[in-house]
Amino acid sequence: MGRRAGSYPYYVEAAPPVDVNKNTEWFMYPGVWTTYILLLFFAWLLVLSVSACSPGIAWTVVNLAHFAITYHFFHWKKGTPFAADDQGIYNRLTWWEQIDNGQQLTRNRKFLTVVPVVLYLIASHLTDYKQPMLFLNTIAVLVLVVAKLPNMHKVRIFGINADI
Amino acid sequence: MVRLPYTTALTTLFSYGLLFAFGQLRDFFRKLIDWFKAKNVKGYAPICLGLEDFYVRRLYLRIQDCFGRPIASAPDAWFDVVERYSNDSNKTLKRTSNTTRCLNLGSYNYLGFAAADEYCTPLVIESLKKYSPSTCSVRVDGGTTKLHTELEELVARFVGKPAAILFGMGYVTNSAIIPCLVGKGGLIISDSLNHNSIVNGARGSGATVRVFQHNSPAHLEEVLREQIAGGQPRTHRPWKKIIVIVEGIYSMEGELCKLPEIIAVCKKYKAYTYLDEAHSIGAVGQSGRGVCELLGVDPADVDIMMGTFTKSFGSCGGYIAASKEIIQHLKLSCPAHIYATSMSPPAVQQVISAIKVILGEDGSNRGAQKLARIRENSNFFRSELKKMGFEVLGDNDSPVMPIMLYNPAKIPAFSRECLRQKVAVVTVAFPATPLLLARARICISASHTREDLIKALDVISRVGDLVGIKYFPAEPPKIAEADHDKLE
Repeated sequence: MGRRAGSYPYYVEAAPPVDVNKNTEWFMYPGVWTTYILLLFFAWLLVLSVSACSPGIAWTVVNLAHFAITYHFFHWKKGTPFAADDQGIYNRLTWWEQIDNGQQLTRNRKFLTVVPVVLYLIASHLTDYKQPMLFLNTIAVLVLVVAKLPNMHKVRIFGINADI
Repeated sequence: MVRLPYTTALTTLFSYGLLFAFGQLRDFFRKLIDWFKAKNVKGYAPICLGLEDFYVRRLYLRIQDCFGRPIASAPDAWFDVVERYSNDSNKTLKRTSNTTRCLNLGSYNYLGFAAADEYCTPLVIESLKKYSPSTCSVRVDGGTTKLHTELEELVARFVGKPAAILFGMGYVTNSAIIPCLVGKGGLIISDSLNHNSIVNGARGSGATVRVFQHNSPAHLEEVLREQIAGGQPRTHRPWKKIIVIVEGIYSMEGELCKLPEIIAVCKKYKAYTYLDEAHSIGAVGQSGRGVCELLGVDPADVDIMMGTFTKSFGSCGGYIAASKEIIQHLKLSCPAHIYATSMSPPAVQQVISAIKVILGEDGSNRGAQKLARIRENSNFFRSELKKMGFEVLGDNDSPVMPIMLYNPAKIPAFSRECLRQKVAVVTVAFPATPLLLARARICISASHTREDLIKALDVISRVGDLVGIKYFPAEPPKIAEADHDKLE
């Protein structure tokens, strides 16, 4: 298999990005989008196998977990785990504000905005738009999409999460 | 530019994601447990945010036995590695008195001056008796000897510049010089893979810092046009000066700078150039004068040349070579010259002797032999690694050759297995490299013999098969050549 049988793997090229922030640089490399989607799919399989619920409920659980995790790590947690190199210039910025050097409407930002919407559509459709799943899914997608809008760059509503 | 299989990219990101998730989970429970014992001092902000050392606590400590290994002899072609053990999953490592004699592929011992040398060492011992181990003083006080003056003239002549200035520490040469050259109202355009000393010097200068894509003269021109058109932030006035900072050999890539193209772009837009030759000086070029000699660039076209004595010359410290006016300005304003202890006189003598060996002024041709041997060794080793199917970064003639590992589990696997086979290699991982691009970095020395290199290739090939890092198909062996049969 592999190299000896004459079938070779599909190669991609990784160029070093201009982004020098270690906390967001990893998102510029090939395979990140695929890994992100695969993680969601594996999470769905995990929920299905752990509990004997319907696929729709499993997608709702994945959507809500995705909402909680990405809101915390992308829009709440500030700074970077590698502060020794950047002299604290990212201490007041969330990961979403650091990515792409703050440039808006990039491909990565669009991808990360589309994922919650697609998850919402899948979860709502598979649960036949029933309550209370529809309500929870709608809240999750609204919060995530609003937080990702260009107008919300460095905005702290009512000072929530304003300090370090 | 690195080529890797797509599945490897996916598995690498998945592995790091898993490590990150488990680390965050443990941090969460640690925070939960510590919350009940909180002894908060009211009104005080935390000195250290917990996030800042997450990487060290949750990722680095797991495999820290693969980094920072102590050695017990001079870092020559073969050296003694101290054996360590751990009783708490690598949180703490304890040394033993045992050592392992290993082939050294990790030191920046490009020309072999790290060990005793027949010409340099007696002169160093003599200067030790004549001067003292240290001047215990700054250059502008009592820290300048005849050796310092002689070395400054010799360095200026060696690199082809009118004047030079010495510093006692290589890192400080960048981090303390750049704030003296450019300040508020200036623009620094830095290569995205520049060393941390350059990054910190640029940030400390107060100038605006912009980054261009690694080794891309096209993107450099794009950034220059954009910044010149836009001017200073908010006021849009013209920049006071623009400095482009590049390195001769990038130590994590083994890649030579595209210096002729970059110089052409800088001349076109009237930007100064700053060339960091920390790794390339003494290691490349027909007579060891660095990338300017290798790539056919006149040293007069590079405004400021920086280098270190810590690699090819077997000593410590660094230098800046530039015009007399710039050097005089640095002597009057640079804190590393005014406040730092000067370079140790025996260390200065070591560099003087090494440069004389390279220039052939020691009365023999050992310098030319060393330079020819490191070039031959580097090109031989690189071509053999590529034939085996490894992804090897860097250019020909470069003595630094990273072997790509990618997956985080392969970093300790490769390092430990090579050490078991008596080959010492340096593995490099995030955050020193990008997340996806962990690697083992091989540094070739002129003191390596052909037998040493063949043994190393044999070990790396076997370990590469064992760990699974031959991402490309191996070149089929040529029937007529016995060397290939022996290697494969």
